[in-house]
This record gives sequence, structure tokens and C-alpha cells, in this order.
Amino acid sequence: MPTRYAYHPGNVAHSNAIEVADTMPLAAESLGIELVPLDGATSCGAGIIRQANADLQVVLNARTLAQAEAMGLDIITPCATTAATLHEDLTSLRTNGKLMAKTNDILERNCGLTLTGEVNVHHILHVIVDELGIDKVKSAVKNTFEFKIAGYYGPNIQQEGACGGDDVFDPDYLEQVIAAVGGKPVEWSSRTHSVGVPGIFSEEKTVMKQTAAVLADAKSEGAQLVVSACNLSHMLLDVYQGKAGKTTGQATKVPTIHLTELLAFAFGHHIDRLAQLRTRVLVIGD
Amino acid sequence: MSAVVKVWIDDGCITCDACENICPEVFHVEDDSCVIVDGVNPSEWGDDIIEAADACPVDVILFEVAGGDETTEGEAPAEVAVEAPATAPAAAAEPVGDGALDAVMAGDRDLHILFGSQSGNAEGLCSMIAKKAADYGLVGHVHDMDGFDLGRMAGMKRILIACSTWGEGEQPDNAEELYIAAKGSGKILSNTHFSICALGDTSYEFFCQSGKEWDEVLETMGGTRIQDRVDCDVDYDAPAGIWMAEALSRIACVDDSGTFQEDLVAEMMAHAAGDSASASSGDVAIVAMPEIQLLANIFRYDADTGETGSDAWAFSIPGHYSVLDLLRTLKATQDGSLTFRDGAVDDPTTGVCVNGRLVLPGMTRLCDVVRDKGDGAQIRIEPVAAYDVIRDLVVDYSSYDNLRAASKPWFVGGQREGTFAGTEVIGTMDAVVSTELHASNDIASPQLLHATSDAVPYNRSYMGPAIVSHLWNRSCDPRISDKSRTAIIEALADTNGVKSETDIASIHRQGSMGANAAKSVLQAKTAVLSHDGYNGRHGKHVWWYTWSIKSSGKVNETTLYRTVLGPMGLASNALSGVSARMIFGFTRTGRPMFNELLGMVAPPAGIGKMPKQFNSAVENHHEVISIFNEMDGRF
Repeated sequence: MPTRYAYHPGNVAHSNAIEVADTMPLAAESLGIELVPLDGATSCGAGIIRQANADLQVVLNARTLAQAEAMGLDIITPCATTAATLHEDLTSLRTNGKLMAKTNDILERNCGLTLTGEVNVHHILHVIVDELGIDKVKSAVKNTFEFKIAGYYGPNIQQEGACGGDDVFDPDYLEQVIAAVGGKPVEWSSRTHSVGVPGIFSEEKTVMKQTAAVLADAKSEGAQLVVSACNLSHMLLDVYQGKAGKTTGQATKVPTIHLTELLAFAFGHHIDRLAQLRTRVLVIGD
Repeated sequence: MSAVVKVWIDDGCITCDACENICPEVFHVEDDSCVIVDGVNPSEWGDDIIEAADACPVDVILFEVAGGDETTEGEAPAEVAVEAPATAPAAAAEPVGDGALDAVMAGDRDLHILFGSQSGNAEGLCSMIAKKAADYGLVGHVHDMDGFDLGRMAGMKRILIACSTWGEGEQPDNAEELYIAAKGSGKILSNTHFSICALGDTSYEFFCQSGKEWDEVLETMGGTRIQDRVDCDVDYDAPAGIWMAEALSRIACVDDSGTFQEDLVAEMMAHAAGDSASASSGDVAIVAMPEIQLLANIFRYDADTGETGSDAWAFSIPGHYSVLDLLRTLKATQDGSLTFRDGAVDDPTTGVCVNGRLVLPGMTRLCDVVRDKGDGAQIRIEPVAAYDVIRDLVVDYSSYDNLRAASKPWFVGGQREGTFAGTEVIGTMDAVVSTELHASNDIASPQLLHATSDAVPYNRSYMGPAIVSHLWNRSCDPRISDKSRTAIIEALADTNGVKSETDIASIHRQGSMGANAAKSVLQAKTAVLSHDGYNGRHGKHVWWYTWSIKSSGKVNETTLYRTVLGPMGLASNALSGVSARMIFGFTRTGRPMFNELLGMVAPPAGIGKMPKQFNSAVENHHEVISIFNEMDGRF
């Protein structure tokens, strides 16, 4: 019996992080998760819209949450920023009756929707460990990863109430998944540090230092591969890793993929991409 | 005397002579190993054999006590460099039925507590022990060592001693005579369990010498040490408290016959915790928590040598003790050179990072922060990352102090309407505004809040979330002058102001203090963006991101890269390889190439059709436009 969720691909999965959009359905299929498209969902705002108008972001996200409620489903997403932002706004609505009433008034008039607050938001990582059980991953593995892998959480999902049963400050769910696919989890302290995605355009110098520090920490602990639980951080950790290294003079080059890629490859999907990744990690290195 | 029936030497002796020095009747060190002296009867030298095994640096002295228990002393996990546990893991003991505990608590329950005191500290401590003893079903009797009849000790089953050290390692005046008598008394204690709390001062050469002498002499008299001695520095409350809890838990399990019922220690501890859970200590009730067998990993930095690393210690400590108690205990009992900021429990400058969490150590219970991932409870304590480290856990707050001074944090009031309050006109404030201001300003430690931002360590000019929150809350205060409010907004809009914060999520995750500050930082950002007319890269990023959501419901990176970065920014990305990684698929794992290239070159130049990934819209997109139109006409 598949577990059904309303599927929010998360930020930039339609463009810059298209590999997440590629691999999430495949990973879900192998895990017995049925993804029901949430085609009306907008971007969560990624901490940006609220800088212009906090109430506007709440209403836009309430619309997304109400759509899932109308489907009778909880939301699942592979993006840590989306999971955390939706969760934060949902918590604000649940705990602030005036905000909920005002939001519902706008939703009803503009969309014909009402939010009760019964819906929940889950990152796929927490669905795997808390709902399915890590044995589900182990039993679905066809290709193992024999690398030293650093799991990157970022700060967004490591918030009280947003990280399932994991520890906010000393998490280990990613390490459990990495071990389940045959990898060797790396212990490193920067795994919940921010790489500064919201500041990439305006504070690039600082963000490059943040990104370089995270990547250099992973490398110094022996990581051969970094796996990110966030679409946006993934983009920064990979696309900008060369620039971060040049800016800071630190060793930053290390193959970086998203959690859904790790899962899909381990479950036997896109074996050509896995072959390229193996070559990248084991032959070419950084 | 301990009944040792067999003793032998394992492989690995380093011929250090320690054992032969302690007991030449049993041990003889030859060129390549120690050997047991031929024909020796180990039962005659039980205590000396155990002492030698204790002293052996490589733990090769093995022995067997009556009943067949084979023992090695001082073992530590090979893969972790830790000090040997100070006490046995009491929590691991299997509780037995109530009947057994009832039995041990029947009969003689006298506990004799002797103090050797010069200034009164040891005497006060003994009074506290006597009071606490009742929780363990013991009847405490406090004795001044002065004039105490040594012969009475022979009939005592349970003895605890607290003794200070005077001058250059001398016994206190009231203890001198009794100590001299005890040294020459011989083995008069055949059925006595004891433990020692030594009070001293690490600035003296003979630290805790008197307590050490009592520990040695009671053993020589034939007593059985039931709990390791604790050596306390000037701040003795925490280590003495831990010793008291452990010593009472164990000595209370000495039954009427004088036999130590070790299996009952865990149950005794729980019994005492239950009895004392509702008791008050001073004005604040303390809920006693079970002991934690803990591996503490502490960051170390020596400024003289520039060496960094960490030290690990394993020991047992009550769960309700604070992180500050832990640090004080480690300093007093393990390493006097361990350096951290000590002070009142709510001292804002004492902050440390515990298992990734920024806390004030005096206000944080160990049971709330230790982590057990299946290999035992662990705690990792590091200095807060936003500052330069001076030594170990002590950081230099001058960078924060300078930023705060530069922010002109003082209040400049303005004229406003008042209310006649009977005798004079006074200013009033709306209750809601007042409550919000008080809540926003409820910051336990601005120094710690400054460190919650992950941007601060990489941009030391950024004023940081603590100063941003302070300034923003001040600007919201209705009592402030208009001129001052404008100056604050301009300071926040400055290069090193709130726009330097790269990710509020890092601040938000650090408890209620962080969540409050994150709210203030966000509101401050909104205010300065509006003040600046959404100019500059930060303003354009927010403006065009929001605009693209209205346009399609999805974030449009093409728009962002073009409008925010401009030609110079795009050129920088092209030269640094960012654009190439985007174009060719940044994961390099075979995903479709040229996906972003289409976005970068096609729209809005008008050549050909806009790629699908950029011109698709979410379902019922008109609803999104309608919400925007109602809530924010700027977009």
C-alpha cells in the first residue's frame, strides 16, 4: 500500500535543480511513496518574499497548504528551504488566531479555499526515517556507494518542530540514509551551518566564505562526496564551489549531489549517471 | 583487608618499578618484566596488591578476589583517549526489589561525618551532608575532629570526612591531634567504609594535602574506600555536591552488618531522588535527575603554543547538574588548567557551544543537552564561533563591544503627549506595544545572540543580529525622537547593517532568543529595503524574486541573474566557472545539458520561444495575481 503525499518539488527544481525534479519521483517510486502533483503550489518564498511583505508570503503559502488539505494529503518535498518555510508559516497560522482568520478571509475571496491547519509538511528525509523506516531504504538498494559521504542539512530543516524525530543541533538522519546505501558517513561540524543562499546576489563575498568553509570542512574530514538535503544549498555547494575556492583560497572542489539523486542512483535508476558519478569520485577526484 | 587470592602479571610490563615500590613483598621487577615473588601468599597483601594494580600505568597486574572475580584495573576504551571513569556507572546496576532496599535500610543507619576545618567551610559542608543523609535513610552525626576519641572509629560502619588544608599542606588546627593519633593507630578499622572530600586551593603547592592524608591513613587503618576522594578548589560547591550525591548513594547501601550492597546503589539513588524531588534548595526547587555516565569532549586551545585540540573525560554526574557545574568539576578534579568564563548562572558572557547549541552553561542542565546515539551519552563543548579564542573556551568579545559602541546604542527621547496622573503629566505607552517591546528585548545574552548568525564569522564588520535587534526595537519605541529613529534606520541600511545578514534561518533555530531576534532582523530588513527603494543588489533580489512569483508562481532565475547581477556580475560568474557549471549541468552526473543556457540567452531577447521551464505558470495562476493585487499593489 503506497504512502500518498501531495508533492511540492521545492525551489528551482523546475530549472536550476532539474536533477532533483528528475530523481525525486524515481526515488519515491522505489520507496513505495505515491506523489500526487501539487500543480498549483507557488514557490515558498525561500526567505525572500517575506523581506518585502511577510503577510503576503504567509498567504501564498497558506494557499499551497490549503490545496494539500483539500486533497486530504500531507505535503512532501525534497527541498529543506521549502519544508522549513512552509512549516514556519503553518506554525504561525496555527498559533495566531487573528492571522489565521485574516488569511482565510483572503484565501476564500480569491481562491475559494479554507485552511484548517490540519495539514503537515515533511521533508523526504524525515518521511524515510520516521514514517517508512530506514530498513525500507536498505531493502531497496541495488547499487551501493562505497564512498566517504558528508551529509549536508543546512539550517532550515534543523529547527525545532521541523526536523521530525531528529535532533535539531546534532542530527543523524542523513547519516542513517548514507549508511543504508552503503556509504561511510563523515562526521563534520558544518553540516547544519548556513551557506548563505538568500544572500548570494547581494553579499556574495560573505556567502563565498560561508560556502567555502562548509566544503573545506567536509573535505578535511575526508569526504569524497557531499549530499545535500536542500535544493538551494545544493545549487550553491556545487555551482559556486569553484568560485568559493578561488575567492578564499580554500580547497572546495568535491562532487556534490542532492539526496534524491543519491537515493535514485542507489535504487538502480539512471545507472549511466551513477557510472559518471563513480568515475568522478573514484578516478578523477576533486 | 581485601581478600586477594591470586595475582599474576600480564604481557606488556614496562618495568617502571611502581609495583615493587608499593609492595616489594609481592612484586619484583627484573630486566624485561615484573614477576611475582616466589612463595608469596597474596591474601596477606590484598590492599597493597590492589594499590599496585591501581598505580600500574599499563594495567598488567591482574588479580582475583575471593569469589572468583577476575579484575583488571583502570581499563579504558583503546580507541578513545579518556581518563578512567571516576566512579562505576551506578545507573548500570540492576535495581532489585523493594524488599532488598528495605532490608538494607533496617538496623543501624548511623553515618558519622567528621570535619577538619579552619575557616568553617568544611564544617558547613558536613552540616549539609548530615541534612542530606536523611534522603538516603541515614542518620547523620557531625563530629568536630578536635577532641574526637579515635577509638570510637573502630565501631563505626560509615564515615565521611570533609577536611580543608591549611598553610603549606598542614592539617587544620582542629584536626592535627586526631591525625597524628590515627597515623599511629594500626589497623583498627575492620568493618568501616569511608570517603573523603578534600578542600583546598590550587594556587598552593600542596593542594588538598590534608584530605589526601586522611584518605591514605583511613585506608592504612583498614577502612574500605567506598567512593573516590574528591579534591575541590576554592569554588567547591559543584564538585563537593557531586561527591556528596555519589558518596551518600553508595555508603547508604552499607547494611547493618557493614556489608556494601552494591547492587542496590541505583535503586538507592532513585529512592533519594524521589524523596528530594519536591524538596527545596534555597528559593528554587531542583528536580533531581539520574546520574549520567558521560563522555565529555572539551575544545582546548593554548595561545602560547598555538596548539588546538580536544580533551575527553569519562565520568558519572547527576543529570540535573548544569554545564557550568560540569566545567567546574572538570577543572577541580581533572585538569586545573581548563579555562572558561565562570560567573553567575545568568552571566551573559559565559556562553559556550554545547553539541551545536549556543547556551549559557549555568542555565543549561546536562540532561537536556547530552546526546546518546547508541554509544553512550556524550557532550561536546566548544567556544562560540563568532569570536577569537583566547584560551580553551574563553573568547574575546572586543569585536562585539566595538560594533556595539559604533552603533550608538543609547536612547534619545523625543517630545510626546502625556497623561495627567493625579499630580503630574507622564508619558504613557500602549499596552500591546509595550509588551512587544519587552518581549523583543528579552535577550539573555547579546554576546551569544551575536554568535547565532552564520554570517558573522565571515564578515566581522557586520553589526550582527544582537545589535540589529537592539537598534530595531529601539526604533519601534514610541518614546524615541524622530531624528533618532531616522538615524537608526540609516545605520541599519548601512553597508555593515542588516543587509549583511545572509540567512535568518541560522538565527531562528537558536531557541526563543534566536526566534525573537530573527523576527526583529526580518522586520528591520523590510524597513531598510523600503527606505532604500529596493535599490542595490539586495533590494533588486527581493523585488524581482517577488515579482517573478507574481508573474508565474515560480522563481525565475533568468530574471534574477539578469536584473540583480547585471553585466558585471554575469561576467564574473562566466569567468569563475559558475555559468559553465550551470550550463553543463552542475552535478556533472549526466543531467540534461544546456537547460539553463536557454534561460540565460533566450528571454527576454525575443529570439525564438521562451523555454518551457521559464514561461510555465502554476495551476490557477490567476489566484496568485489576485492575492498580490489585494495585498501588495507595488508588484
